Amino acid sequence: MLTLEAILLGLIMGVFYGLMAFGLTLIFGILKVVYFAHGESFMIGAFTYSLLALWLGVPLWLAIPSAIVVGGVVGVIVERLLIRPLYEKFGDWQAMRDEYAIIVTFGLSLFLVNLANQVFGPYPFRGPDLTDVARFEFGPLIVGGHRLAAAVLGGAVLIGAYLFIQHSFGGKQIRAVAQNRFGASIAGIDTRMVSMLVFALAGGLAALSGALLAPLFHASPDVGVLPALKSFVIVVLGGMGSPIGSLVGGLILGVLESLGALYISYTYRDTYAFAILILVLLLRPQGLFGERAREV
Amino acid sequence: MSGSRLRTRNEFLASLLFLALVALLPIWVTSTYWQGLFVVSMYFALLAVAWNLLAGYTGQFSLAPTAFAMIGAYTTGLLAHHFGLSPLIGIPAAIVVSAVVGMGLGRVVFRLRGPYLALTTLAFAEILRHVVRNAHQITRGEFGLRVPALFDHHLAYYYLFLALLLAVQTGLYLMLRSPAGLYLQAIRDDETAAASRGVNVIVWKTVAFTISGAICGIAGALYVHFAEIASPQIGHIFETGLVLASVVIGGMGTMIGPVVGAFLVEITSEQFRAIGLNHMLFFAFMVIVIVRFFREGLWGLSMLALRPWLAQPARKRRPLGAGGS
Amino acid sequence: MSTHDHMRRTGLGGLAIALLALGSGGVAAQDQEPIRVGVTLTQSPPGSVIQGTEVLRGLEIARDLFNEQGGVLDRPFELIVEDTQGIPERGRAAVEKLITSDKVVALTGEHQSSVCLAEIGLAARHNVPFINTNCWSDDIRKEGHPQVFSPNMYNSRVATAMAEVIQGLGVDSVFALAENTDWGIGQAEALDELLEQTGADIDYQYELLDREARDFTPVIQGVRGENPSLVALIMLPPAAYVALNQLNEQGVLPSEDTWLFEGGGLFSYPDFWENVREAAQYGIYFDLYHTDMALSDLGAQVREEYMQRHDGTPSRLVFQAADSLLLIKEAIANAGSTDPDAMIEWLQQAEVPGTRGTITFSDEPGPLFQQWVDTPYVTYQVTELDQKLEETTLISAPDLGVQLDQLRQPKN
Repeated sequence: MLTLEAILLGLIMGVFYGLMAFGLTLIFGILKVVYFAHGESFMIGAFTYSLLALWLGVPLWLAIPSAIVVGGVVGVIVERLLIRPLYEKFGDWQAMRDEYAIIVTFGLSLFLVNLANQVFGPYPFRGPDLTDVARFEFGPLIVGGHRLAAAVLGGAVLIGAYLFIQHSFGGKQIRAVAQNRFGASIAGIDTRMVSMLVFALAGGLAALSGALLAPLFHASPDVGVLPALKSFVIVVLGGMGSPIGSLVGGLILGVLESLGALYISYTYRDTYAFAILILVLLLRPQGLFGERAREV
Repeated sequence: MSGSRLRTRNEFLASLLFLALVALLPIWVTSTYWQGLFVVSMYFALLAVAWNLLAGYTGQFSLAPTAFAMIGAYTTGLLAHHFGLSPLIGIPAAIVVSAVVGMGLGRVVFRLRGPYLALTTLAFAEILRHVVRNAHQITRGEFGLRVPALFDHHLAYYYLFLALLLAVQTGLYLMLRSPAGLYLQAIRDDETAAASRGVNVIVWKTVAFTISGAICGIAGALYVHFAEIASPQIGHIFETGLVLASVVIGGMGTMIGPVVGAFLVEITSEQFRAIGLNHMLFFAFMVIVIVRFFREGLWGLSMLALRPWLAQPARKRRPLGAGGS
Repeated sequence: MSTHDHMRRTGLGGLAIALLALGSGGVAAQDQEPIRVGVTLTQSPPGSVIQGTEVLRGLEIARDLFNEQGGVLDRPFELIVEDTQGIPERGRAAVEKLITSDKVVALTGEHQSSVCLAEIGLAARHNVPFINTNCWSDDIRKEGHPQVFSPNMYNSRVATAMAEVIQGLGVDSVFALAENTDWGIGQAEALDELLEQTGADIDYQYELLDREARDFTPVIQGVRGENPSLVALIMLPPAAYVALNQLNEQGVLPSEDTWLFEGGGLFSYPDFWENVREAAQYGIYFDLYHTDMALSDLGAQVREEYMQRHDGTPSRLVFQAADSLLLIKEAIANAGSTDPDAMIEWLQQAEVPGTRGTITFSDEPGPLFQQWVDTPYVTYQVTELDQKLEETTLISAPDLGVQLDQLRQPKN
């Protein structure tokens, strides 16, 4: 029975992970670089939601979309200021130096965490629960009320995002740029718009994840660091640039962590993700759904 | 001498000059507090030089330098705490262990590039820190491990660190002048091309990881004997951030950038802390600005400005995306 | 940027550093007029900033009160504060700076055991009196440094209080959730020992939790499986809040089958109700201060002053901080100077009326060395959401004994 509950909780966590990984895999798809500051979109969403609700009394149905919007806007700003030079100034972006991306986004991550610390102080904020129901009981299984409601909401948005990518015109443009940036621009696609769209989408989804988890994890400046690291693992596990990979990978990681925490060791639960990352990179670097590349 | 070799030589000489100044500082600086600050600066300088070797000269962007410092620190710390072994055994053991782990890591990740390498090394570093924090029966976790001191006076540590830094810089210089240096930089600039020209990429990447790991390891070991306490904080991601900041601000891929950068970062950190400002905020911002606009760091900037007065050809502002020097 | 700036930065960077060093050295005042007291506490993460803030407030209030009365030896007090961030190494570096650079006459303010342990060695080596403000770990006392005085709470005493209640309630199984720090582990183990000593057949287990972690669900699933009669919580915020909420989420608390005993003084934190909702009800909370507790004149003054300056009522940390500075003041006044040996000698046999009782120090080596053995504590029960301290039910207090019949349980 505990196992079943663990799997259920793992799937729920997987939805939240998926929200973060989805946007990140798209960023990888179009840019092929690490974006270390992704966790800060999560953090921004958590703070926006919590503070709007706690300090300004904004109702939940408004606070959640606000968090998404703020996350998206920040994503666009970052793209414009820091990411655009990656591909714009230096022509053929295949020759782009990874070091710039790593250092700039790593520096950005540190900057945002410390900025949040300076502005909000290190006190954690607990955003309000989505529902007043304390817990749902399905027979012997118990799931927290907010947790389940948040997972349902997050899951719906995630499915919506996936459908957007697969079937809408914007989504197809994104996929085209991911496959071949130069070719896509020749075909008339505005690659700059696509980049902004991707960053907005990624930022918004990560912010939603942060907002949904704020009542459980409490918003604090470094709350996004660990979810970001885990979303990297999921992106690699699922295959860099593969949207379906991020969904499946998220669920898999959530369940593995949950079962591992229960049966192997709770103390080291956060290391399982990293162990999985190393294994995947060594054994099957393209992940579950990624394309096999000549060089990784 | 080719432009690049001349530059390397001049950078090395400049760094010697800087270190000579540091050697003379205690004449004026008698406060043990400030001497201690400089010791910490030298610790960071060692990490910065090691990371610069791996990233700046070999192009391997590892995010695990502080993990290796932690390995060195806990090797000597655990040997002292659990077995009562003297630092004379502990420190060499630290070098060996971190070198071996470095070699292992290098061997395992040689196929990975760019983001994948960064992520894997980050994962490695985080796992290690997590384990050290939680295995408190062995490591005493967050409370830290008490480590015996080597000397009674800060000055002794001061000159020990300085000697080590000097040795490392000299060794690095000799290596860069040798064929090994060419191979490493060839790997950085274009790995496929280097391989096609007969450079044994696997071997040289592993060598870079091994040496870098060993330097970080001994730095960590000496540091904890100085601080008399080893804690998992050494391997925290923010410390890695400071190392990166030191190298980037000072000038990546130069022989003097990391050293001066480390001193600048540490001293400025202290001043910021003294007036209650968040120093990490400032440094993170500086890193972003410098990488965005002044890729060559402060050293590169100064060289650019001083060009009319110097005999050497300037290091061209490398546009991102073009290889070569 | 001009060339001149470039030259300064790189080529002459070293000289600039040296000049900076000289300048700082010179500024360190040769003028010894004020009595300089070194304060180490946490003002930025990862340590507990909330604790550090309360301690600092208490010290500042005490300093101002004492200075109004003329200070000591006709000299005012000056607090020199260093931020340790809750990291042992930083604590050590802070103490080094305070002793060698600022030349303080005494050290105090530390509120985190791990950092304390790193600091006292240095204080001892330089023979500087160290007043332990809020580090509960027994190891600090066991070190046996004559410079270290602990007027504050200690782990075995909390464990005693817990054991008292556990025995009184007739509980047969206890599950403790403790944070993996000196304090958390120390208390969990002290409780284990005490429960064994009672001889009663009590099933006791504990889990150590990472204070950086945010999801304790698997552990709590385990707690649910065990179905203990009492859950002991030995954690600090924010992990403590998260754990409590998740205990509620899984239906463990509040319940008519399970008591909650909180052993870290959690309720006195100003952001408690913001972060913990239903989970907090019917819990038994350990603390060092309750509004119904008798305060000395000094204690009352401190409380008055705190309520004037800040929102809400002062927490125990404020009183402990005030006591710390009081001890330093009395030591200097009675020793007639700031000579450390004289101060230490006097403190060892002193009887100082503090904010909540008369402070004396034991000379018994071991975990009670230079500890105020009878340091007061209270336990109270919270019965309603958003309840204020004055509305809670006092269960035990120094002059009250233990009143378990006052306890209520939820009606499920």
